[in-house]
Amino acid sequence: MARDVFDPYALLQALEGQRVTYIVVGALGRVLHGSDELTDGLDIVPATREENLRHLELALDELNARRTDGKRLVLDRDLSRQPVLELQTDGGELKIIREPEGTRGYDDLRRRATREPIGRGLRPAVASPDDHARMLAALDREQDRVPLQTMQRLIELEREFHRGRGLSIER
Amino acid sequence: MTSGALIRQARTRAGLSQVELSQRSGKDRAQIARWERDVVQPSLETLRELLRACGWDVELALVPYEPDPKRDARLRVRLGRTPQERLQGMLRERSR
Repeated sequence: MARDVFDPYALLQALEGQRVTYIVVGALGRVLHGSDELTDGLDIVPATREENLRHLELALDELNARRTDGKRLVLDRDLSRQPVLELQTDGGELKIIREPEGTRGYDDLRRRATREPIGRGLRPAVASPDDHARMLAALDREQDRVPLQTMQRLIELEREFHRGRGLSIER
Repeated sequence: MTSGALIRQARTRAGLSQVELSQRSGKDRAQIARWERDVVQPSLETLRELLRACGWDVELALVPYEPDPKRDARLRVRLGRTPQERLQGMLRERSR
């Protein structure tokens, strides 16, 4: 069966083109850290400053974003009312999350997020592996059990890779 | 989840700064920062002391653990790739 359109480059280019400040989270963020999942969409946590939401609105216009429930999109109102704003765009699914479970939103994730080069001149900020694990653990859903175990194992393997076998235990 | 992430999560959920956690737990602030960054790992006892100072604790219980060498090998290969290669690999897989 053919999968829906998903062009993360188009989505991220529109966001970068409008100078939106955001952090990539969710399955795509986990894939960028090494998880072997498939995803049909991009999840972002935007900075909620008024000016940034204006930039985000312009990017959404460019992407022909519409709400999946068919209602008219009014970004600041919808974002304040819904924890997750699910949109369909010309580049595929886009979820805008004001404050992912287990976090305090953009400012909380920003400190440990890293810029990941993904080609075509794009280096989106991606939430850290620890924060991805934290969000999945806080959601506490059966469907997230395997992605959570994968992220936890990736964190362990990455630590082993960087440090070799000697772990320091200090009191 | 790492011990560092657990300490940071407990501390931020409690709305404490590292200095405040240091005062509550009697541990050095710089050491707390090193634990949170996973530069070094606290002992299990110290970890629980820190979590409790934040008003949290962990439930410890033995659960069966089965190593999954195939999964580890797969993840190691992916860790050796760049983010760009990981993304493009996923997109190729998705279009199959």
